[in-house]
Amino acid sequence: MKEFTYEIKDPMGLHARPAGLLVKAAGAYASTVTLNAPTGKADAKRIMAVMRLAVKQGHSVTVTCEGADEEKAAAELKAFFEANL
Amino acid sequence: MGIFKKLFGGKAMDSICAPVTGEAVAINQVSDPTFGEEILGKGIAIRPTEGKVYAPCDATVDMMFETGHAVSLIADCGAEILVHVGLDTVNLKGEHYHVIAKNGDKVKKGDLLIEFDHEAIAAAGYDIITPVVICNSGDYTTFETHVGKNVTAGDVVIELAK
Repeated sequence: MKEFTYEIKDPMGLHARPAGLLVKAAGAYASTVTLNAPTGKADAKRIMAVMRLAVKQGHSVTVTCEGADEEKAAAELKAFFEANL
Repeated sequence: MGIFKKLFGGKAMDSICAPVTGEAVAINQVSDPTFGEEILGKGIAIRPTEGKVYAPCDATVDMMFETGHAVSLIADCGAEILVHVGLDTVNLKGEHYHVIAKNGDKVKKGDLLIEFDHEAIAAAGYDIITPVVICNSGDYTTFETHVGKNVTAGDVVIELAK
């Protein structure tokens, strides 16, 4: 299991577009990718679940990757959060 | 089985109706690639001519964005539906939108969910085109859309079968 924590900088939080991009990015890995936010927990490969978290600017989210490609998934998704959120 | 199921080609089809009145177009007409490239799922889009969003089928409101610019619903038939009123309209922070329904509400097809001032939103410089996306479209083997025409809220715009 690999995980990282990231504080959301996007003033609009994890709204539809970044949520969609995240789901697309997470879907590329064999590993399960779980998003832990102050508002709950979601499968990062399911758009409705991610949007339901209503993650806001300033929220800390922990992304947990578990599976064969967990190292790659965690490293690349961390870069995704830094670039997009 | 709801009254919105019908038999078509031997398969039970689930119907998703237009949540707004306007011109129904193919999703690839949406300039935002999040929608146009179907990143969130397959769907259609409507250019609204009236500022009201109605439930597109019997469903539960899953996530009403507090800004009123988008709502997601879980249909009784299982479809996960996102209605996003305009592009980049998250930036309006709720201005020109009036939220009616709330998270967890059980709604019937045609129940009013959101009111919006489409003219004011357009005047503020936003594209008011409204994507209607089935987020779990990958679960369906048949996905038919009825676009390229003017629709009234409640007209069938998407038919699905697993």
